[in-house]
Amino acid sequence: MRHRPTWWKTLIGIILTLIMLFPVYWMINISFTQRSAIRSGDLYPKAFTTENFQRVFADQMPYLGTSLLIALACVVLTLAIALPAAYSIAILHLGGKKTMDFLLVAAQMVPAVVMALAFYQIFNQIGLLDTIAGLILADSTVAVPFAVMLLTSFMGSMPVSLVEAARIDGASDWRIFTQIVIPLSRNYIVTTALFSFLWAWSDFMFASTLDAGGGKLRPITMGLYDFIGAQNQEWGPLMATAVVASVPTALMLIVAQKYVAAGVTAGAVKD
Amino acid sequence: MHASSVSASARRAHGSPARRRLHRLTPTRWAAIGFAAPLILYMLIFYVVPLVQNVSMSLHRYSRRTFVTGEAPFVGLDIYKEVLSTNEFWTTLGQTLIFVVVSIVFQYSIGLALAVFFNQNFKLSATLRGIFLVPWLLPPMISGTIWQWMMDADNGIINKFLGMLGIAPVWWLQAGHSLWAVIIANIWLGIPFNLVILYSGLQNISKDLYEAASLDGCNGWQKFWKITFPLLRPVTMITLLLGFVYTLKTVDIIWLMTQGSGTSQTLATWSYAMAFGKGYSSTIRYSEASVVGTLLILIALIFAFIYIGVQRREEKA
Amino acid sequence: MRSSHISVIPTAQKALSCGVAVALVATLAGCGGSSSSAAGSKTLTFWDPYPQYTTGSVWDKQVKSCAPKGWKVKRQGMPQNDVLNNLTTAVKSDNAPDVAVIDNPFMPTAVDSGLVTDLASAGVSTKGFDKNIEGPGIVDGKQYGLAFGTNALGLYYNPAVLQKAGVDPSSIKDWQSLNAAIKKVVDSGAKGITFAGITGEEGVFQFLPWFWGAKGNLAHPDSQAAKEAENLVSGWVRNGWAPKSVATDNQSASWDLMLTGDYGFAENGSWQAAAAKKKGFKSIPIPAKDGGVAPVPTGGEFATLPFHKKADKDRQAAAAQLISCLTSDSELGKTNEAIGYLAAKKSVRDQQVKNDELWAPWVESVENARGRTTDIGMKYESVSAQLSKSLQAALNS
Repeated sequence: MRHRPTWWKTLIGIILTLIMLFPVYWMINISFTQRSAIRSGDLYPKAFTTENFQRVFADQMPYLGTSLLIALACVVLTLAIALPAAYSIAILHLGGKKTMDFLLVAAQMVPAVVMALAFYQIFNQIGLLDTIAGLILADSTVAVPFAVMLLTSFMGSMPVSLVEAARIDGASDWRIFTQIVIPLSRNYIVTTALFSFLWAWSDFMFASTLDAGGGKLRPITMGLYDFIGAQNQEWGPLMATAVVASVPTALMLIVAQKYVAAGVTAGAVKD
Repeated sequence: MHASSVSASARRAHGSPARRRLHRLTPTRWAAIGFAAPLILYMLIFYVVPLVQNVSMSLHRYSRRTFVTGEAPFVGLDIYKEVLSTNEFWTTLGQTLIFVVVSIVFQYSIGLALAVFFNQNFKLSATLRGIFLVPWLLPPMISGTIWQWMMDADNGIINKFLGMLGIAPVWWLQAGHSLWAVIIANIWLGIPFNLVILYSGLQNISKDLYEAASLDGCNGWQKFWKITFPLLRPVTMITLLLGFVYTLKTVDIIWLMTQGSGTSQTLATWSYAMAFGKGYSSTIRYSEASVVGTLLILIALIFAFIYIGVQRREEKA
Repeated sequence: MRSSHISVIPTAQKALSCGVAVALVATLAGCGGSSSSAAGSKTLTFWDPYPQYTTGSVWDKQVKSCAPKGWKVKRQGMPQNDVLNNLTTAVKSDNAPDVAVIDNPFMPTAVDSGLVTDLASAGVSTKGFDKNIEGPGIVDGKQYGLAFGTNALGLYYNPAVLQKAGVDPSSIKDWQSLNAAIKKVVDSGAKGITFAGITGEEGVFQFLPWFWGAKGNLAHPDSQAAKEAENLVSGWVRNGWAPKSVATDNQSASWDLMLTGDYGFAENGSWQAAAAKKKGFKSIPIPAKDGGVAPVPTGGEFATLPFHKKADKDRQAAAAQLISCLTSDSELGKTNEAIGYLAAKKSVRDQQVKNDELWAPWVESVENARGRTTDIGMKYESVSAQLSKSLQAALNS
């Protein structure tokens, strides 16, 4: 089976990817188009310009760094909370799993508006308003319930025998957690990290409510404001900003996806 | 790798097993609480206040003024009754259900098909799979606007493609059927999410099973229905539950394409419009927004209840 | 830069004690703690809806140059729609800026909610400014905001397209001749007219000249005039004279369409006058149904002094001084030029027109403009919502 030619699968894969990426292409197309033609619907930038990118490189780079910092810190925080919690619920049988599931679903359904308003008042009291730390905390609230649910669901399907064997061998809970459960959860950890990164990266609601006065220490979604006037939005530079912001993160995504590797638990499932 | 070999290697890595614990009964319960403590604290800090506030706002009659002064009168369930007695609520509920169900059916089935496809490890498969996630990097403000332009009735690229196929241009964003336009965009937005989770699920299905099935003479189709699909069930269920929750609260993409006008209004965009004084009316209606928000939480909980029920049955089986 | 990792844990503890207390009493009033964000440095915070004017822009420099002695100004731009909501949240938490620039139709709401304070008692002079422009800022005889300038809507046209179609713009006197001109343009192979019909205030803003041009009265938003105006604009869409996207286009998006050079006409604001000049577009006032110039709504924002629970006299005086400086006779011209507005004072406006003939076609519209909320006050919110709904229904039919 391995020796059969796979080039045609690659070809189908490329075609599917191209269809999926068409809107992304459209963004790139517009980012190279002069304002007079952005609504012409041309398939390629007929009215070509690089001016949009010049403006982005002149103004937007500090925001990019801030976004990166926030998103990465958000990943760390999310995993630090969700991994032990999932281990506790799924493997140590914390109890109250049903209640926990309800709470986690409810937590994810609280409208972002309500969350943002509540955080504003709390952050204002404790001086976290317009700080990066505050924004990281707020952004993590999107990912934590998700991460706990996903990781719990996965660890729940992990073979109990592995943990029991280790326990009989005398391994502590901490060691089982770090030496067995975490390595086996690698795929899901990468997946969870991806999602929390992306959510923090694209967050706008929390940034505009909690970090509006952060100056240059605001994420890129706020940097986009520079191109939004009261009655006049400049979509060329907006799209160019999105393009520039996508490149480093797209590379990260591709690398991270390679870590979602096959065969981590191969063999274990049979037990 | 076998269970014993995993623990054996764990032991090797860390020297001899902890002797102290050998004869002691591990107080697993305390450990469980210890491991869950950060989450419990986190939930208390970050969710209790907003949740309580949301419910509290739905029970008081707020205006912009009373929001500032904090003097909103308590009116019990009056606002619930008012909201539930409007036609707008029931129409919007129907539209929301169509939006959610159609979005999820397509997101999930396309995501699963792609996950199975990319699971075949052909050349470039990992790279292409990574690239598939790129749409997610776009700020919602950008992807929403791009879809609005692509669906432009007069100049949009989609209508131009249709024209090449001899199909008459479609007024995608017309209020009477804009719901379908936002569903299409939302399916696009949701595919990467489904693909990623389902793909990681596929990785945890043993390759040996497929080999065994091949020996038994199963073809690809049979292998999918007999091995992949059943073994993917836990992952499927969590994907559907999370997909349901996220689709139910989707605002961005709809808002940027149509401002939730016409049939594209869902409970989430309606609540957003009222909370911020956006859409048709700039009057802020915090209370009504909170009522709709609370009802959305209830709808999600009903779905969670179904999820837990199914999960229980599976555990028993 | 504050380190995220260091502050996370102590913060969480503080937030916990605070958060739990709050949950118990279901109110945030009891939540104590130090408010560090408004720390005592002599800095005035200034919110405006012009995020596109970044640090170092002409507007930014103009605002900062007006800082009173011993004070610095921290400017924060945010989208038009966010200013009022952010101000609401900030005033509630007693964290309001020292000056906020608010869009004019929101003034009655801001006053009603107690977000802004009386200018006269703070010592800002409001003498000599045009009544029609200042109207929305005056509630119950008190002036709560000062509009330094204004913009207005007009009908831009593309002379090249009109010439090819054989249309003389001076022939457009009323709706009938306007329709005839658009038809001629479309018959010549070009596209007709763009405008913004998006849901909400922005679409209504563009609709009002037609509504008032048919002798509509905001006290009766469901009158015959509304029907006639709706028929006019939705007729353009039905005839294929206007793009279908007008129902979702805002003013910027509709301007992007005009910039393609394919369209004969565009209803848009004086803020595009400089861009229009570059493209060779010209403008005429919007015609009323039976001839003459239709009244347009006053556009533009008001400088206000937000409410603080803990009043700081020095701070408020400095903020008032800042507004006074921006609107003083010597600075008013510069303030307006920085954002492309026409001054709300005749003498300064005349000087602007003298310096740049670009403004000449707009003077008549500005002087005849009406405040949206001047007559009906807070009721405008619901009237506008009603107009928006029926306009959307018409444009989508």
